[in-house]
Amino acid sequence: MDLIIRNGRIVDGTGLPAYQGDIGIRDGRIVSVGGRIPGTATEEIDAAGRVVAPGFIDPHTHFDVQLLWDGQARPALEHGITTVVPGNCSLSLAPLKVEHRPRLVGMFQQIEEMPDAAFDGAFEWTWESFADYLTALRSKLAVNVAPLAGHSVIRLWVMGDAANERAANADEIAGMQELLRQCLEAGAVGLSTSFVDVDERLQPVPSRYAHAEEIDALAAVLGEYGRMLQVVPEFYATDITLARVDQLAELSLKHQIPTTFSPLFDSAANPDNISRVMARVEEQMARGARVWPQVQTRPIDISFTFEVASLLFAGTPGWYRTMRLPRDEKIAALRDPERLARLLEEAEPGGNTDRFRKMRVRAVARREDDGLVGRSLGDIAAERDSTPARVMVDIALANDLDASFVATDLGHNDPARVGALLAHPMVHIGASDGGAHIQSFATYGDTGYLFSRFVRERHDLTLEAAVKKITADTARIWGIAGRGLLQPGFAADITVFDPDVIDRGDEVVAHDMPEAGMRYVRGSRGIYTVVVNGAVAWSAAAGGYTEARQGQVVTR
Amino acid sequence: MPAEPHDATPRIERALVAPGHDGSAELLLRIRYGDGSSDSVTLDAAAAERLLDQCGATALEQLVGQPWRRLLNVLEQSGD
Repeated sequence: MDLIIRNGRIVDGTGLPAYQGDIGIRDGRIVSVGGRIPGTATEEIDAAGRVVAPGFIDPHTHFDVQLLWDGQARPALEHGITTVVPGNCSLSLAPLKVEHRPRLVGMFQQIEEMPDAAFDGAFEWTWESFADYLTALRSKLAVNVAPLAGHSVIRLWVMGDAANERAANADEIAGMQELLRQCLEAGAVGLSTSFVDVDERLQPVPSRYAHAEEIDALAAVLGEYGRMLQVVPEFYATDITLARVDQLAELSLKHQIPTTFSPLFDSAANPDNISRVMARVEEQMARGARVWPQVQTRPIDISFTFEVASLLFAGTPGWYRTMRLPRDEKIAALRDPERLARLLEEAEPGGNTDRFRKMRVRAVARREDDGLVGRSLGDIAAERDSTPARVMVDIALANDLDASFVATDLGHNDPARVGALLAHPMVHIGASDGGAHIQSFATYGDTGYLFSRFVRERHDLTLEAAVKKITADTARIWGIAGRGLLQPGFAADITVFDPDVIDRGDEVVAHDMPEAGMRYVRGSRGIYTVVVNGAVAWSAAAGGYTEARQGQVVTR
Repeated sequence: MPAEPHDATPRIERALVAPGHDGSAELLLRIRYGDGSSDSVTLDAAAAERLLDQCGATALEQLVGQPWRRLLNVLEQSGD
């Protein structure tokens, strides 16, 4: 044996009750599960008191670019994620002609908040085809990748500038079909498309110009391979989402393909959304269609700065008016004692500080204010013998408005409703957006949050059910063969964790992007070892990330 | 021919700030149609500002009762 993980509590991904035993690994594959394995191995890990589970699979990420300089997809790997699905939302880095690179960079920057430096010198563009992109990736990978091909870039390849202008003609549709076929042959796990996203010019991305017959033709190609169609529906409008569920169901039945849409989330402002969408999903699943809604585990936070007027202030008209002033006038208004006094009274009427007390400082420009980052306004106010609204204004002014704040848990935040949704057998846990929105919030640690919040604290899911949801279920939904279960013959993707501790860490600022670019990240808690294709890729005992690069493109 | 209802104009029935998927605040509007049915529309911050301006509103409550045509104008300006 190359590796034996001993004495673990094996949660094998099937959903069946956990049991004690060893797991033996040779040549990157599991060869023995359960019982006491005699003899020794080259490497042994004592997992006594810990859960040994299949590596987690994240089905909605945008690690496409990051993987080119960081094959570990940090910090996803340290959360126990052993397989990521990049290329969502109609955007992938291939297939892409040289002349279209600026267009794609613009779309990535707009939709996923990737900074210039992420594209400028951080890697070498060596590909046009999907196959060559995967070749560029392979040698770097510490995690496994199941990549989607993006509809927008396929359209761009075939139609050029017209991709953003009109529907495709028959020849162009045929060209897209052939190009998609090449992507699937090379290892794409499916096709992603979007009915929502806009590019850097705030114009619809190319996929949004597709008529139904184009999507049907591409779905037909997916049907040749039994591959996934991922869609971003008009999630902000329930009725349109229902229509998309119906559309996906028809495509699924006609072409015998799995489909998934994301995001689906709960909001007090639209309380019927979840029940209506899930009722339609159940109806279509009962017909035999495969339409998997992706639901995130984490609640939604809202960030804002004083530079632009956030709707968060729309409930306090005086503040909203002030926020909409030109910059200089805004600063003058906030510095004017009388006007500020009126704003403070509006924000904290009668001394009630509830509105801003729990909000936290997210980022500051001044080095001397670094210690404020992550702290609540209520906490800082108590320290300064002030009020939360007042310290928020003080911090904003001290940083020449270049400070940001965050209101946490404002949406998808009813634990009972979200817990029930996550436990629903037709809900696909995902939609993390890992590697995206990097300068707005951390998209890592959703799996840790699943265990801490919905398994350990609330008991919405059993430990075994939660593991199954993010391993075997995901592999089955996406057609990722030979992964997601701890069984002989399966790939040795394994996460060892403490079920009493596993969680996401606090959200912090990191400067670990190319050229010390900033992003928000979360570390993990309670993860001990992460094994990818038989190699220890992350180990708390060994100090974190290792040199292992055993990641694979798992669809080939 | 059946008579037209007295006021068949779809109107904004409710305006709420809601959390957006991308971490920004959005404006969720419920539109009530003349036949009694309703639907919701979400605006980003920029479109919401334009709507408030067009309606001469300084508070969200003042959007209630505004005709849908105002909304249509705002959406046409957003370019998508």
